[in-house]
Amino acid sequence: MTGGTDTRSGPAPAPNHICAWYSDDRTWASLVSGFLAPALERGERLYYFADATDPDAVLSALADQGMDVRRARAQGRLDVFTADDTYLASGPFDPDAMVGQWHDATAQALADGCTGLRAIGEMSWCARDVPGADRLLEYELRIHGEVFAKLPRLSALCLYDRRLIPDADTAVLTGAHRAVPVAPSGEAPPARPPLRALPHPHAPGLVLEGALDHDGRGTTRGAVAALSRMAADGDVELDLSELDFVDVVGAGMLSEAARALPAGRSLRISGAPATLHRLLGLFPELRAGLKVV
Amino acid sequence: MTTSLLTDRVLPPGESFAHPALSYRDEPDFLRTVGAFVRDGLEAGRPVLVLVPRPRLEALRDRFGGDDGVVWTDMAEAGRNPGRVLSLLAGFTARHAGRPVRIVMEPIWPGRHRAETGEAARLEALVNVAFADRPASFLCAYQEPALPREVVALVRRAHPSLLDADAGRVRESAEYTDPLAVCAQCATPLEEPAEPVPALAYADGDLAAVRAFVSERLAGTALAPSRRTDLVLAVTEAATNSLRHGGGRGALRLWTTRGEGAGRVHVETRDAGRLDDPLAGCFRPDPAAASGGRGLWMINELCDLVRIRSSADGLVLRMSMDLR
Repeated sequence: MTGGTDTRSGPAPAPNHICAWYSDDRTWASLVSGFLAPALERGERLYYFADATDPDAVLSALADQGMDVRRARAQGRLDVFTADDTYLASGPFDPDAMVGQWHDATAQALADGCTGLRAIGEMSWCARDVPGADRLLEYELRIHGEVFAKLPRLSALCLYDRRLIPDADTAVLTGAHRAVPVAPSGEAPPARPPLRALPHPHAPGLVLEGALDHDGRGTTRGAVAALSRMAADGDVELDLSELDFVDVVGAGMLSEAARALPAGRSLRISGAPATLHRLLGLFPELRAGLKVV
Repeated sequence: MTTSLLTDRVLPPGESFAHPALSYRDEPDFLRTVGAFVRDGLEAGRPVLVLVPRPRLEALRDRFGGDDGVVWTDMAEAGRNPGRVLSLLAGFTARHAGRPVRIVMEPIWPGRHRAETGEAARLEALVNVAFADRPASFLCAYQEPALPREVVALVRRAHPSLLDADAGRVRESAEYTDPLAVCAQCATPLEEPAEPVPALAYADGDLAAVRAFVSERLAGTALAPSRRTDLVLAVTEAATNSLRHGGGRGALRLWTTRGEGAGRVHVETRDAGRLDDPLAGCFRPDPAAASGGRGLWMINELCDLVRIRSSADGLVLRMSMDLR
C-alpha cells in the first residue's frame, strides 16, 4: 500500500496530518473526541498513542463525550496504546521504521474492512530524555510526503501539551505541519520561532521561513536531516522565498544535506535570499550538490 | 650580512623567507628598484605577485608589457581592508606550493587614512609569523619622506631587514621588534562617535533583532544594497561570536562619520570574549569544517576595515564600510 498519490493534480485533498496545542484537560478532551467521533461514524479504525495520559483516562474521556467505547473496542475499531509500549519500545525513535509502520497499519485497517485509519499521538515524550527524540522534527517533516500524501485513507492529529513541552519546541514542531493547527479558542499560540521548517506543498522537499542562523540551529539540524533522508525520485526542493537570512554555518548545513543525497540527485533551491548568494560567492565549494534557481 | 638586491644573490639559493622594507623617494625611484626585484624574479622563474596601489601598479605593469608571469593586484582595492591581505598572500603561495615566490607590497601609501595604517602595519608584522617557513621573498615599498614619522617608525619595527637601494644592499633592521609586540603597538584606542549613539543589547534569540537594528539605521545612508547585505552578514557573524564565545551576550552600536571620501558606516560589537590568536580570521577557512574561524575571515572579506581590540574588559570588534 505504498502507491503514490499525485497531490499536484485534482482538487487538494483534505489535510490529513494536523496538529494541536493545548494547556488544559478540557481542551484536550474536546480535541480528542472532536477528531475521533466523526471518523468512528464513517467506519474508520481509531488509534490513540498515549504518552502522559493514562489509557483508561482516554477511554473514559471518549465515553464521556458519548462514544460507545466498549462496542468500538470489541469490533476492533478502537485501540489505545502507549508510545512506550509501541514505537518507543524497540530502541531509539526511528523515523524510517515509523514510515513503514504507518503504511502497514493503514493497509491492515483497509484489509479488515475499515474505511480508513485515524490516529492521535501525544508528542510529550519529545520533552523527555528519549533516545531519538531529536529526530522528531525530521519525522514530522518527512511524513507529509512519505506517508500522508500517499495514504489519503490515513489521518492523524499530533498533540502538543504545553504543560509538558517547552513552548519553543511546540512552536517549531507544530510549525512543521502544513495544515493549520486546530487552534483551541482563547489560547495564544506559542511565539513565532526564529526558523520554521514545513513540508513543501507540491514536491518532496521543504519550505523554510525566518532565518537560518545561530538562533535557529536546532531547527536547521532537523530540517537538514529531513532533506537528506527524505524519499524522492528526483531532486529535493527547498523553497527559501520566505527566508530572510542565511549565515555561513546554515549555508554549510544546506550544502551538507545536498552532498548526503544519493548520487545524481540535487537540492534545488528557489527564492534564495541575497545573503545565500553572497555566501556561495565567498565559498564556491558549498555549491556542490546545490541547484540554485 | 649584506647582499646585493639586484642579483639573485639577494637571497640564498632557492629563496627562503625574506621581508625587507624599501624606502623610496618618488615614482622613478620606485620603478627602478621594484622593477629590478620583479625582473630578477621573473628571470629566475619565480611566480611574482605585485600588490601596490593603482598609479604605481600601472606604471610598473607598463614596464613589463603585460608579462603573464606576474599577478598585478591593486592594493587600494584588494587590500582596502588590510585584514584580508594575509589570506590573499596565502592563496598566492598555495597556488605555487613548494616553489619560491616573490611578492611586492605597498600597504601604506601617502594619504592612507590613519585608521587603516595601524591595521596595515599589523599586517606587515604578521607576515613575519605567517610566512616564516615559506620560500617567499617579499619587498615592501614605502614612500618614507611623505609618510608621518610615527608610521615610518612602526614600519621599520615590522620589517626584519631594510633595502638600501642606493647602495644596492639589504641590511638587518636594528629596529625590528617581535611581531606580537608590534601588533600590540598597532592596537591603538578606537575613536568614539562624535555624538553618543544608542546601543542594542543582544543575547540568544536576538539575532533577527540585531539585523533589524542594523537595517533600520542603514536605511538613511548611501550604502548600496549589496554592501548592506555584506554588512548584515558580517554583523550577524560578529554577534554570533558573542553568543558562542563572548559570554552569550553583547552590545551593538552603529554610526556614520564623514571625512574619509564619502564617509563611513561603523558597526561595533562588544562582548566578554577574548581573542589571543593574532592570526585568527586571517586565512581562508574550510566552510564545511565544524570548527569555528569562518566568522572572522568572512568579516574581513566583507568589510572595508576591521579592527579588533581584545583586553581584560572584553572584545571589541569594529567593522567599517566606505560610503562610495
